[in-house]
Amino acid sequence: MKTLKRIYLGLILLFLYIPIVVLIIQSFNAGESRAKWEGFSLIWYGKLFDDPNIMNALWITVSIAVLAALFSTVLGTLAAIGIHAMRKRPQALMLTLNNIPMTMPDIVTGISLMLLFIFTQVERGYVTMLLAHITFDVPYVILSVMPKLQQMNKNSYEAALDLGATPMYALFHVILPEVMPGVITGAMLAFTLSLDDFTISYFTTSPLVQNLSTLIYSQARKGIKPTMNALSALMFVVLLVLLLLVNKRTDSQEK
Amino acid sequence: MEDKRLITLEDISKAYDGVTVLNHINLYIRQKEFVTLLGPSGCGKTTTLRIIGGFERADSGRVIFDGQDISEIPPYRRRVNTVFQKYALFPHLNVKDNIAFGLKIKKMSAAEIQKKVDYMLDLVNLSGFGKRSVESLSGGQQQRIAIARALVNEPEVLLLDEPLGALDLKLRKEMQLELKSMQQRLGITFLYVTHDQEEALTMSDTIVVMQGGNILQIGTPKSIYDEPSNAFVANFIGESNIFSGTMVRDEMVHFCGADFPCVDSGFGEDKPVDVVIRPEDVLLVGEDVGQVTGVIKSVLFKGVHYEMMIDAGHSIWKVHSTTMQPEGSRVGLSVVPFNIHIMHPMQEENKQPQEEDAQ
Repeated sequence: MKTLKRIYLGLILLFLYIPIVVLIIQSFNAGESRAKWEGFSLIWYGKLFDDPNIMNALWITVSIAVLAALFSTVLGTLAAIGIHAMRKRPQALMLTLNNIPMTMPDIVTGISLMLLFIFTQVERGYVTMLLAHITFDVPYVILSVMPKLQQMNKNSYEAALDLGATPMYALFHVILPEVMPGVITGAMLAFTLSLDDFTISYFTTSPLVQNLSTLIYSQARKGIKPTMNALSALMFVVLLVLLLLVNKRTDSQEK
Repeated sequence: MEDKRLITLEDISKAYDGVTVLNHINLYIRQKEFVTLLGPSGCGKTTTLRIIGGFERADSGRVIFDGQDISEIPPYRRRVNTVFQKYALFPHLNVKDNIAFGLKIKKMSAAEIQKKVDYMLDLVNLSGFGKRSVESLSGGQQQRIAIARALVNEPEVLLLDEPLGALDLKLRKEMQLELKSMQQRLGITFLYVTHDQEEALTMSDTIVVMQGGNILQIGTPKSIYDEPSNAFVANFIGESNIFSGTMVRDEMVHFCGADFPCVDSGFGEDKPVDVVIRPEDVLLVGEDVGQVTGVIKSVLFKGVHYEMMIDAGHSIWKVHSTTMQPEGSRVGLSVVPFNIHIMHPMQEENKQPQEEDAQ
């Protein structure tokens, strides 16, 4: 039984990870053909960094991820503090409203945002993509900060006021320091989600402003170049590291 | 204690979602007085404290502090400080920075802050704890830090919301005495909220007994214990036997099937009254000389005395005595007139059921 269990688990992991492993191995293949191994090489990684299109997309991806994480963290943290201060019923309502966008399929979010931008006659491009990313990041930030607020002693804020702190002073010197671990987790989560988003970005940008995911998609239609293997392998590693960091933080917070 | 009225509550009412929590409260607190709001949970005592602290706004009425109406003043501009039930220390700050929180807001110099923090740590017997994280402290130590954090701001009134509720019995008794001596030494007005009647009797200059959003009685511990204004107060403050009776005439009351001479008068003739007799005031005498007779139903050893429940026909008497009578024996019960306390009867809905709780 025990060996059977192990084999079963092994098969699952194999099927899960073999495509990525193949991709990573291929990214080091010296030849252009995917059918034949022509020796180890970093040539595609070199070409990747020489390609102005890719470098431009990389810059857009990272800058949008940083800005979206920044804005959504500020908005989400303040929103969480506001929701936390509500009475029970409106609070439950707000949290449900907050959860719905997260369960919504990306394609629905993407199309609805696209329709909104068309309806309001906002030209799609960098700014619309950034706004879209902030929109889908905010609920995750709220969800990360909320448990920290709930763990806080409910008199902490009042104690600060009692000792002479204005509400603003109490926010920066008592509430924020206490919920900071949740804020950082939320920011990292927002950054990660923004970095690897394809669907929503695809619907909310113009063909002239492409992030890495939309670039890979448009190039894949013309046949995949080996540089894409290298790019995908790099994205995978970066996201893996970020996700591990977020998970580690969440784990240690629960302890 | 001085005669100057520092805080006056005028006709304070408060309701949450249509449920009345405070019902037209009027109360004044004198300078340097130790006032305790005493009552069961949900009686409105904490809400009263929070209204004075500024954390809740009364639906109607005014809070007067030192001659000024402070009803609209936010908590950070009131000259009071609060010790919260669960301490509410700031976990991201160490002991020193917790105590220094209010001083830093006042932009005091570092040297002055250090001096005041050290003085406070000394006052609460925690010298040398400044660098410790608050989470490494025991409940009792955290409570002392919370008190120090409030007192360092030199408030005119210290509000304490069941500050000893989370401590064990022995520590609680120690802290009661410490708080009382601190209050006397510093000459600060204390407003203390508790549901523990013994705590209230031990520490207070004045006790305010509350129930259901109303003030039932205000008085010194002794007057509240000896002259409770109704059956609820009598029951809540200490143990008592409460009987329904009739005032036959001045200085004569009828209850439990017998006439008892008493010292109260002015209730009228043949008027219904409540009669309170403390368990320690009932004398066990020979069957033939007792005012009523009964059978001992149970005997519990309570340390300094025995607690006996005595069935006298239609009533159960709780008696505390240092001498024990065996279960099942018939005894006579007698009460000297001075120890019989007559009260106007409470309205039925407020009346506590007369339980034979053998705690």
